[in-house]
Amino acid sequence: MIQAAPTIHESPNTSLLTRMVQFSRALGAAGISIDTANVIDLCRCFSYIDIRRKHEFYAAAKTNLVSRHKDFSRFDQVFETFWQKTLSRPVTETDNDDVADEDSVRKIAKEQKRMMDSSDEDLTPGEQQSSHIEYSPDEILSRRDLGSLNAEELKQARRLMAKLIAAIANYKSRRRTPARSGRDLNFRRMLRRTALDGQDPCKLLYRRRRIRKTKLILLCDVSGSMERYSRFLIQFICALRHELPDVEVAVFSTRLTVITPLLASQGTEETLRHFSDRIPDWAGGTDIGQCISDFNRHFASQMLRLRTIAVVLSDGWDRGDADQMRTAIQGLRRNVQKLIWLNPLLGDKNYQPLCRGIETALPHLDYFLPAHNLESLEKLAELLREIWR
Amino acid sequence: MFSSINDLEEQFSEQGYIADHLLLTSIYLSTSLGKPIFLEGEPGVGKTEVAKVLAAVLDTELIRLQCYEGLDTYTALYEWNYPRQMLELRMEEARSDDKASIGKDIFREEFLLKRPLLRAIQTPGDKPPVLLIDEIDRSDHEFEAFLLEILSDFQITIPEIGTIRAVHPPIVVLTSNRTREIHDALKRRCLYHWIDYPTLEKELRIVKSRVPGIEQQLSRQICHFMQTIRSQDFFKRPGVAETIDWAHALLALGIEELTEDTVNATLGCILKYKDDIEKLQHEDLSRFIMDTGNPQS
Repeated sequence: MIQAAPTIHESPNTSLLTRMVQFSRALGAAGISIDTANVIDLCRCFSYIDIRRKHEFYAAAKTNLVSRHKDFSRFDQVFETFWQKTLSRPVTETDNDDVADEDSVRKIAKEQKRMMDSSDEDLTPGEQQSSHIEYSPDEILSRRDLGSLNAEELKQARRLMAKLIAAIANYKSRRRTPARSGRDLNFRRMLRRTALDGQDPCKLLYRRRRIRKTKLILLCDVSGSMERYSRFLIQFICALRHELPDVEVAVFSTRLTVITPLLASQGTEETLRHFSDRIPDWAGGTDIGQCISDFNRHFASQMLRLRTIAVVLSDGWDRGDADQMRTAIQGLRRNVQKLIWLNPLLGDKNYQPLCRGIETALPHLDYFLPAHNLESLEKLAELLREIWR
Repeated sequence: MFSSINDLEEQFSEQGYIADHLLLTSIYLSTSLGKPIFLEGEPGVGKTEVAKVLAAVLDTELIRLQCYEGLDTYTALYEWNYPRQMLELRMEEARSDDKASIGKDIFREEFLLKRPLLRAIQTPGDKPPVLLIDEIDRSDHEFEAFLLEILSDFQITIPEIGTIRAVHPPIVVLTSNRTREIHDALKRRCLYHWIDYPTLEKELRIVKSRVPGIEQQLSRQICHFMQTIRSQDFFKRPGVAETIDWAHALLALGIEELTEDTVNATLGCILKYKDDIEKLQHEDLSRFIMDTGNPQS
């Protein structure tokens, strides 16, 4: 039985500490973000539990290091692989040791990627149940590939989209803010004022529900491989732009161009015509990493706020440098509330996120969603609505 | 606080709470390290109950803060009792000639309305209270950020009075139904545990301890039925709370054995959505019940 105050590892020795750090690194490599403070807390736990018992150590490690239910199975995997390997041989602190662990880390990362790939497949629209959409011409339209819509259908699609966006655009917070008029009296202020000047409350002060402002940043790929979709996606952007004042839009292929000012001009059709004239690299090649790091460097500080959602629309075909792309995506992720990647190709059942751009970005994304028809965009709207809360 | 995990397990099961080893370890470490515990899981799996049982076991006060959207510091922390302050001013006016002293001392503790967080920090006595922050996913980001500060320092600054520090930092239990993802910064300051639906065996033990007087046979049938239902695709799958409610209901009705009719009549105890109820009624109910195998019929 465990004693009242187990003292076997009063001060955890170095090799144990080394192991713990290696273990937390292995978890990190498998995509579970680990906070050093929690590793330290885990070590503190050793004076309360008997770490010679695997299930006690396992429980302590899990409760300290993992903070998302979806990471549970991944944690279990890493736990088994890592400690099986570690326990099956004596603890040494040589360099070889590290190399071996690097190996297992890589294996785990590979395994994890496989899992992520399969979960992406789950997202394919053929399998999505659209239980809430009744049969209607709209439904057919909402499942048609965006690349194949004609002008009339585009118009119709735009209406559908505007409706959908209107639903998410005006979100009223439950919090209240002082107002000049309204139906809701602001007693707190009134009494405070009274306490200050000693008058009876006579001036009525009001409050109203604050409007929540979430900022949306769209980075839209207009390279050659995306041309089929870009027309529609720009429509999507314009619809957003009309409903939400706080949207910034940039398009990129080999260079990044912020087109928010262009969108200020009225008609969508007109705007579209403007685009191809003004943007030199329309339908060119792609260098996602370069463009996003341009964005980070020149626009991020003025455009990004805490409550910002960044949406990247791209198929991920990238001709640029993978390292640069990784740094750029990481930088972007740090500065926004959520990072969403929309990929039109994800609509294809056989699609696997293998092209280098996606592969590099995937670990840093909050959501990786299809964007090839209206139905998938509706999913996006739903998601945005959820994040809005 | 607890001498070992086994000690904790015993005390919890005395209170009728059956927990698995992982949850017990989390609770044990949370009380030992003084770190908040963050419980996530489907509704009705006993998240809130952990805090209640913990308070009962430690024989200490349970302070509950139910979160909702728009929860702000005035309802979570403290507020001045404005009407009383005004009355006090009036009385002072009537009483004294010294105009300068009027209103000097209306910001005293007696005019302070203490809300749950302040109460948790200022609890008198020599035992730390259990602070339950329930359904944190219903509050908004601003409140989460505010909690971070409280949970790391356990101190509150009231401009008019000064800083109040906790003598005995409370044992904090946070729960979430995961209607939205809670920010990592908050989760990282906590020990995390996901409470899953119980296994058949565990559910039997729970029913046995929570519904005394129930027949072995009936409780077996009930738990089997619930396990089968949970394996199906329902909009809202029933939790343990529903199992216990149902068992109570069946016991009150004097039913000794599940039949299709009794299930149909008491379906409202298990499923809370019209669509779910209709769906189950269309299914062959006997399939769910026969699974338990009843030698008596």
